[in-house]
This record gives sequence, structure tokens and C-alpha cells, in this order.
Amino acid sequence: MQKKVIETKNLCKVFKNGDIKVHALTNVNILIEEGEFVAIMGSSGSGKSTLLNILGCLDKPTSGDYYLDMVHINNLNKNELADIRNQKIGFIFQSYNLLSRTTALENVILPLVYDRTRRFSNPTEMAKKALSQVGLSDRIYHKTNQLSGGQQQRVAIARALVNDPALILSDEATGNLDSKASIDIADLFVQLNNKGKTILMITHEPEIAQFAKRIIYLRDGKVLTDELIINRSTKESALKDLELLA
Amino acid sequence: MRQLIKTFKVAFEAITKNRTRSLLTMLGIIIGVAAVIMTISAGEGATKQVQDQISGLGTNLLMIYTKTEHRGGTHVRMGKPISKRDYEILQKNSVFISKLSPLVVIGAQAIGPNGYKSTAIYGVSQEYFDILSRELSLGDYFKDEDVKTANKVCVIGETIKKELFVDLDPIGRQIRIDKIPFTIVGLLKEEGQGAMGQDQDDMIIAPYTTIQNRMYGYHRGYDMIMASSINENSIVDAKVEASELLRESHKILADEENDFDITTQVELQEITGNITGILTILLGAIASVSLLVGGIGIMNIMLVSVTERTREIGTRLAIGARESDILTQFLIEAVVLSFAGGIIGTVLGIVGNQIIYKLTNFFVPTATYSIIIGFGFAVLVGVTFGYFPARKAAKLNPIDALRYE
Repeated sequence: MQKKVIETKNLCKVFKNGDIKVHALTNVNILIEEGEFVAIMGSSGSGKSTLLNILGCLDKPTSGDYYLDMVHINNLNKNELADIRNQKIGFIFQSYNLLSRTTALENVILPLVYDRTRRFSNPTEMAKKALSQVGLSDRIYHKTNQLSGGQQQRVAIARALVNDPALILSDEATGNLDSKASIDIADLFVQLNNKGKTILMITHEPEIAQFAKRIIYLRDGKVLTDELIINRSTKESALKDLELLA
Repeated sequence: MRQLIKTFKVAFEAITKNRTRSLLTMLGIIIGVAAVIMTISAGEGATKQVQDQISGLGTNLLMIYTKTEHRGGTHVRMGKPISKRDYEILQKNSVFISKLSPLVVIGAQAIGPNGYKSTAIYGVSQEYFDILSRELSLGDYFKDEDVKTANKVCVIGETIKKELFVDLDPIGRQIRIDKIPFTIVGLLKEEGQGAMGQDQDDMIIAPYTTIQNRMYGYHRGYDMIMASSINENSIVDAKVEASELLRESHKILADEENDFDITTQVELQEITGNITGILTILLGAIASVSLLVGGIGIMNIMLVSVTERTREIGTRLAIGARESDILTQFLIEAVVLSFAGGIIGTVLGIVGNQIIYKLTNFFVPTATYSIIIGFGFAVLVGVTFGYFPARKAAKLNPIDALRYE
């Protein structure tokens, strides 16, 4: 049996706004094993972001249990959560969230700055390796504002890879990119997944979700469907579709 | 510790990447520290100058005068005047006093061949010149016989010479003081301004007997007896001895207080030291206000910086920075800014002191403790005013911070 990377049991999140209670998530049960590539879809208000925040250890569930890489997250304090985020999760954001006026290399090193385990003896080498994994070996010393959107997102992906996390969490990674750059990024995810990385991406673009192995639909805070994708997109097929549309 | 070094690097990068803003932030601290150093040093310089002049009076100087009290805005003599008898007793019996001179002072107008001036006439014995170590540039002191016979001779200061004679050689010439002709025997070497800013060359010195006999309409005591102890170490003994002799002379009972005061040069130095010390503190306090304003400047910029970098903070938190990492990062930024500002301010302060020295000839020694105060206060201000924005940054909710536009 594969290692469980994500396991949630009856995950609920309730936001209180004065007297009004908003049930953002209700009894969400998700199991994601090592090596999976899962897309989470849903309209806005479906609870995607709330789920991502909890899975990303930025927020805690109101009830239910969450295990990340076999660690029970519910009982951890702020510092322990920060360390979990540092060691087990690689974040990718819609707007890249790179440090301005800073080189690609410095950005990629950032998670290692906060690493307290001393797992990595040579952060610079690690960062260079991560950058070459996303195809930016020749942009190491470029400042972030000298890079295109797609390249910036690659830097962000390298940053998410550098700490060798159990899970890569992508929050609308292609949201700010044009179609071709989006396909490139999705293809990069596929390549990384082929190398064994477990990836969970949130998206509302069906053609990007189609690159994953499995899609979970959320609606009104509940899991609507959870199924494997039979006809996965590849870079070639997606580019062909793009041409047909044009 | 390892984490701290890394955080230090992060903070330092943030500062160097915002050079203009960092410099502007530091400006308040720079000015504050420079101001503190310069004002305190100016105060110190003034103190030193006053002290030097007082010690220039001779370190074994004693001044004996009738006790006075403030009554209705004027000094009122409280005891018997210091008399000729007191002078003679001290002269005859004192072991620790080597030189002694009565002092009577009157204000009068002196008229010379080329001008006139209202000035102070000091009536003294010839030992006065030794006590205060006043030297002559021309002529001679008056002699013991001049004092005994109340001769109408005098020694004048440079200011008097300039007013009354202009370019003429004054030695041997006559001036009239309150219509009485005096022959000038000596010209004092120029001394310049005194400890209290008075002109030490604006004086005429004559035998006290002459002043008492020919110029006082009535006989009164001396204004003061000036004395010097045999050496510096015996000044306290001299004071005690003089006090005992005078109590006897004034017939003061054992349970009564002295009706005279004896001030030594050392005490004078202490008093003026206190006055100028207060002045220094006052100046320093005023300068500190600018440091405080500088600190508020740091807080202001840091708060702006925190808001501006909300997303950056969110990102750092998301990828595993602890609250304490963010707190230290911003705190270090504030401290480094104030530290650097402190260094630049210190350099500016020292340079400023040099410039003042060059321009005004008023020597301003940069007091070491002013650097410590200025610098220490700058760092303190940085930490204090940096803490609030740093805490604000650390307490940001990563979810909100990541979405901040």
C-alpha cells in the first residue's frame, strides 16, 4: 500500500460572522497517496480556498481530523505548523509571491532560510538544482522583475521543490498566465509528478485540471465527485486544442 | 544562533534593497545623534574652559570674606567686616598660608591722556600678584613701601591701556582716578576673558592702603582677603587654620556659626562645575528630543514597510517562517537602521565639533560619554520603536497576508 500523504476525516470548517454561521466545509473526506496528481475544482464559494488553507496548514479545521504525511495536524501549535509547512509542503501561488528586487536563486533559497532541521548542507546547490528542474538554469541570477510571468511561476515552483516536500500545493498556479504558459506550467507539473512528486492543485480551468490524474469537485463545502481522469491531457494535445480554438 | 545569523542576512538584504528609504529613515537618527554629541560636547567644552580658568587662578587659592545673605534681592553682610586686625592675625599666626593680600574694590572713572573709562579699582598688597600669578608685560609691580606709605601708584590692565593711552607707553605716566593722580608703574600681561566671561584686563590695581586712605570717604573693612596656602596639599589645613584664627579674632563662641566664609579654588571649581553640568544636561535633553523624533520616524517607516510588504510576510509565513523569525527580521531591520544611523551621526558629530573648533576657536572636545549616550539612545530608540511594527508584522494572519492587495 502507498504512503498516505493527505488523509482527512470528516473535515468541517465553520466561519462565524456575528450570529451567522457559514459552513465552508462539511464532512470532507479525502485520501491522497504518494505519487498522486490531484486537481480540485469547484466554483467560487465551493470551499476550495478553505480546504487549501487547511491542507496547507495555514488554518485549522473546526472539527474532523487532518493527517499530513501521517502527522496529525490538529494538535500542533503555531511554531510546529510553521515547521510542518517548511518541511512537508511546497506552496505555489497564483501571483507567484516572489520577493521583488531579488534574484531567482535567492527566492528559491528562501524556504531553506527557515529550515531548522539542518537537512540541507548546501542550500545554494539545492536551489540551483531546483531551478534546473524547472528549466531555469540560465536564469539563476536574474532578478524576478526581469523574468516573464511563466518564468516567475517556474521560480515559484522551484521554491516549492527546494525543500523536498511531501506535498506540492498549487493555488491557481496558472491563473495569471496566458494559455500557452499555462500549458507549460501544467506540463511541468506532469513531469514533476512523473518523478514521484505528489501534487495537489486547485484550479478553475478545466483544461488545466485535465492534466491531473484525478479530479475532485467541490460544491457548497462538500465533495461532489472524486474520480480518476481517463483521458489525460498532454502538452501536445492541449496545444493542439489551443490551435483548434484559434 | 544559526537561525539568527540567517535572519540577520535577510534583514540586511531588505535594507540594502531599499537604499533611499533606509537612508531617509536613518536621517532622523543621524541628526539626533550628531546633535546630542555636539551639544553635550559644547557643554563639556564650556565646563572645561571655565575649570581651566579657575585652576589658572592658582590651585592653592583661598578667599576669605564676610558672610552675606540674600535679603530682598541684595547681598547683605551678616557679620563683622574682615578687618585689618584679621589680616594681621593671619599674617602673624598662620602656618599653612604663605601669601596674603587684602582686597578692596571700588568702581571709579579713570582719565588718561587719550581717553577715559569707568572701571574697577582693586586695592591689594603686592602679594596679590603672586597669589593670582599675574605677570607683567611692561614695567614693574608696586613695592612693599608703596603699600606702607599709601603711594599713588598703580598697575593697569591691557583694556585700560587701550582706552586711556591708545598707542602711548603708559609706564611712568599719570592717570586720574576720581580726580586723584596715580602714576602707572606696570602693565599686566593680557589675560582675556575670565571664567564668568568678565574682562580680566579691565582693571586697575593699586595698593589697598592708597584706596582705603585716599578714596574711601570712611573707613570700612576689606571686601576680601585673598591667600594662598604653602602648597596644594595644605589647602584644607589652611582653610581650617584660617577659620580657627578668624573665629578667635571675631570672638565667636563655640556653638555659634562663622560670620565669614572661606572659599577655596577647589570649591569654586565644584560650584561652577555643577552649574555648567546642569547646562550640559539641559542641552543634551533638548538634543535628545530630536533623537526621539528620529525614533518615531523609524517607527513610521517600519509601519509603512510592514504594510507594503504584507504579501512578502505572508509568503514567508506560508513557506515556514515562524512568528519569531518575522519579528526578529523586522526588529533587526530597525536596529540595524538605528545602529547605522548612530554610526553616521557619531561621525558627523565629531566632524561638526572639529568644524566649530576651526570656525570659532572654541575648543569642543568630543566627550566619550556623549558618544555612548547618543549611540546607546539611538539603538534603544530603534529597538523600542521598531518593536511595535515588527510585532504587527509577526502577528499577521498568513492567509490574509497572502491575499493582501
